[in-house]
Amino acid sequence: MTAAVATLVAGVVLGYLGQRSRMCFVGGIRDFMLIRDGYLLRGLLAFGLTAWLAFPLLAAIGGAGVGPFGLPDALTAILTMCGAFGVGYVSTLANGCPFRQHVLAAQGVVSSGTYVAGFFAGAVIFHMWAAPLLLRVLP
Amino acid sequence: MATVVEAVAPARSHRTRMRITATMTGVVGALLAVIAGSLFDVRPPDAYGLCMACHARDLVNWTVNAAAGTRLTVAPASLVFPVLTPVGVLLGALLAARTSGEFRWQRPEHPLKTFLYGVAVMNCALLAGGCSIRLLLRTAAGEPLGVIGFGALAAGVILATQWLRWRAAR
Repeated sequence: MTAAVATLVAGVVLGYLGQRSRMCFVGGIRDFMLIRDGYLLRGLLAFGLTAWLAFPLLAAIGGAGVGPFGLPDALTAILTMCGAFGVGYVSTLANGCPFRQHVLAAQGVVSSGTYVAGFFAGAVIFHMWAAPLLLRVLP
Repeated sequence: MATVVEAVAPARSHRTRMRITATMTGVVGALLAVIAGSLFDVRPPDAYGLCMACHARDLVNWTVNAAAGTRLTVAPASLVFPVLTPVGVLLGALLAARTSGEFRWQRPEHPLKTFLYGVAVMNCALLAGGCSIRLLLRTAAGEPLGVIGFGALAAGVILATQWLRWRAAR
């Protein structure tokens, strides 16, 4: 229950900030390539840098640490690459990352609302059909 | 009365012009994500504090499991009660849009296409073990798979942007 409350609070704060700042986690790379605009890219870098500093700092003051991480096997690495490539490619075509689509849906953009509906349906589709199919096909 | 209005107006306009930048959102988002994972039990797995895909999967699958008695996968962090990040983001963004006067209904242009985009992104994200946010979070945590994933994500964005540029130039 602690996790539910913590993520609800974090979500409200992030949703508020995301709407005010137009933050998008794929838009930074896209905008920089298209129009050399680094506004969203700075947000992306700030997120990565802050998290990189915060993980060891919180572990040092008594929080739960992360890792150690081993090297992945080749199949896991390939599947991760394929999935992540798809996330980047389709999110760019869809005009925003999942976070941005949630924010747009909440401000009345019905296209993003249908995206979020598909996003939620996708979870059930993955676990009921896509993952079992993959497990059957893959070695 | 005029003096009071003149005295108050600049302060109010200054307050409403307080700009929240993407950099601020990035810093606060990362802190919240790491704090949620480290101090508030949003784990295992590691670096699970913030993810739009995995958390939405947990919420949907937990609800379907409770309603239909299925056994769809949820992360250990969501076994008792699901994480609520997607609900929080929707509520927070709705609050921001309402208070800033930016909320307005906009008709969908291609609802089926955007629905399928959502399905595709969720499936790809679950295959990769996270959306763009969590892949970056895993990279920051030092996980080799996160680095591989984030590199592939950036490649996908770059290729799709080139494709959009090429299509626009035709």
